[in-house]
Amino acid sequence: MLDMMNSMQNRKSKIPNWLLPWLDVLAIASWGILMLRYWLTGKLNLLIHPDYFWLVITGGLGLLLVSGLKAWDLLRRRRTKVTNTGHITLFPPGFSSALLLTTAIVGLLFTPRVFASQTALQRGVTDVLGATRAQPQAFRSSVRPEERSLLDWVRTLNVYPEPDAYTGQKVKLQGFVIHPRELPPGYLLLSRFVITCCAADAYPVGLPVKLLANSQVYPPDTWLEVEGKMITENRGGKRQLTIQASSLKQISEPQNPYDY
Amino acid sequence: MNQQLNTAFTLFLSLLVEAMPFLLVGVLFSGLLLLFVDERQMIARLPKNPLMGALFGSMIGFLFPVCECGNVPVARRLLMQGAPAPVAIGFLLAAPTINPIVIWATWTAFRDQPEIVVLRVVFSLAIATIIGWVFSAQADLRPILQPAIGTRLKLIATKPEPKQLSTFEQEAPTPQLLQSGTYWLGQKSQPIRMDATVLQATLAATPPSKPLSDRLRLLLDNTIQELRELGAVLVLGSAIAASIQVLVPREVILGLGSGPITSIGTMMLLAGLVSICSTVDAFFALSFASTFTSGSLLAFLVFGPMIDLKGVGLMLAIFKPRAIFYLFGLAAQLTFLFTLFVNLYVI
Repeated sequence: MLDMMNSMQNRKSKIPNWLLPWLDVLAIASWGILMLRYWLTGKLNLLIHPDYFWLVITGGLGLLLVSGLKAWDLLRRRRTKVTNTGHITLFPPGFSSALLLTTAIVGLLFTPRVFASQTALQRGVTDVLGATRAQPQAFRSSVRPEERSLLDWVRTLNVYPEPDAYTGQKVKLQGFVIHPRELPPGYLLLSRFVITCCAADAYPVGLPVKLLANSQVYPPDTWLEVEGKMITENRGGKRQLTIQASSLKQISEPQNPYDY
Repeated sequence: MNQQLNTAFTLFLSLLVEAMPFLLVGVLFSGLLLLFVDERQMIARLPKNPLMGALFGSMIGFLFPVCECGNVPVARRLLMQGAPAPVAIGFLLAAPTINPIVIWATWTAFRDQPEIVVLRVVFSLAIATIIGWVFSAQADLRPILQPAIGTRLKLIATKPEPKQLSTFEQEAPTPQLLQSGTYWLGQKSQPIRMDATVLQATLAATPPSKPLSDRLRLLLDNTIQELRELGAVLVLGSAIAASIQVLVPREVILGLGSGPITSIGTMMLLAGLVSICSTVDAFFALSFASTFTSGSLLAFLVFGPMIDLKGVGLMLAIFKPRAIFYLFGLAAQLTFLFTLFVNLYVI
């Protein structure tokens, strides 16, 4: 193990030695820029929960500060002879910085996009919050039914799962379209992703919508605003809360596609 | 396919963006404390009882919030300055987990499941204390330590601390320049070796009389070294987490993740291989939270910081392979038993 690491370290670096510290500066600065850029362009909410924006912003500024100090230090010490042979403990010289820099550049070039129906199907959409899922933090049953969001509905349903209790209540919801295999034609699943920390834990919730016309009119990932009322339907031997749509309106993807 | 790639990329970036600030705080904080906490005074006040020593050592992490890369050099210094084995081993195993920043990061990731945060701390503390206690049975440590440290221990036993700064020069069996590492030349007669390990040692060994600007420069260099190294491991780890999420079929993940035993085994294997820094490993685990049992997530969070591929490489700087094998075996078995209990009886 040690031999292997030593041989990795002893390999001659192709990058000139004096450049290595600058590569560090660049790599760290690029991450600071990337993080601040996500914040400034409003893309940060695609990646993490708004509660942690301040962490990313402070972190980004901190990285810029560290790289700035190092750059200043390097410029100031230019004349004193510092031989940095560039050996690093784990990876070959320059590898770590190059990897960080490359990742940051890729991050700057490609914008992250919101998760879509395919990911939802891969992760399994339910109207049930599993044991490990976010428990309602402020549960208000007094909210008027038509003001509940999709997540509010799913949470309400988790607290009191009897579908009949909601029959006839008015619904107005926004979400994107999924066509799961289990749903018969004439239905679609209206869903949203919910995140508690960052996109890594995003999970989809959804409620079935009974359409007026054939479901194929709305391709997957279309964002819809659905108005209607709640009904109970028997599907797969299970009574399920379903939305009987009275109007469906195609909308553009909301600024903040996730629910919290 | 395009969409899958997009999902993987978004997942990858979100892990990185969320973890980077914690990495920065962790690195800065550990550097600062190494600069200002006086180890020698602390060692003089250590409890003599092996069990208490192990427990105490496990909790020193609160004073030295180091990741699993920083804990090895600190444990090594503790041993060389005469700290008893249970203390050093307790510290080695627990410090990466039992420290405020890691607990904060774990809380950020798992605030919906506070039991994970609490059990992570309790299990890490228990396992580190038990193993430290077991190792107290070995009265003479030299057979399990690398010769350089063994010799140094003998020195301590026979005469009082000779000189404080030059510990690294003394122990080196080969001339400094023949060892791998980064060096500063031309400042003193002795070249100074510059890698994260030595930087931290130098940081801590720097007597308070040194000008502040020198110490701050060491702190800056240490921060950059660690950010670079740990950042690269974080990038690789996030890439692995994202690929597994997207590329491995859901049935396979669900199949492995729902079994009480297979899930723990899988996560412990991942923990050993991925070597992600303990400050940010909670976010890695989080991406498995929906598919894997709570016990297996705990296994990852408890076992990963103690022993992984990267850590073993560093630990070879202290221990002979035989000792690492014992540490590894004990830690793995205890983690497995504890988390299996959680899977079967608790959650």
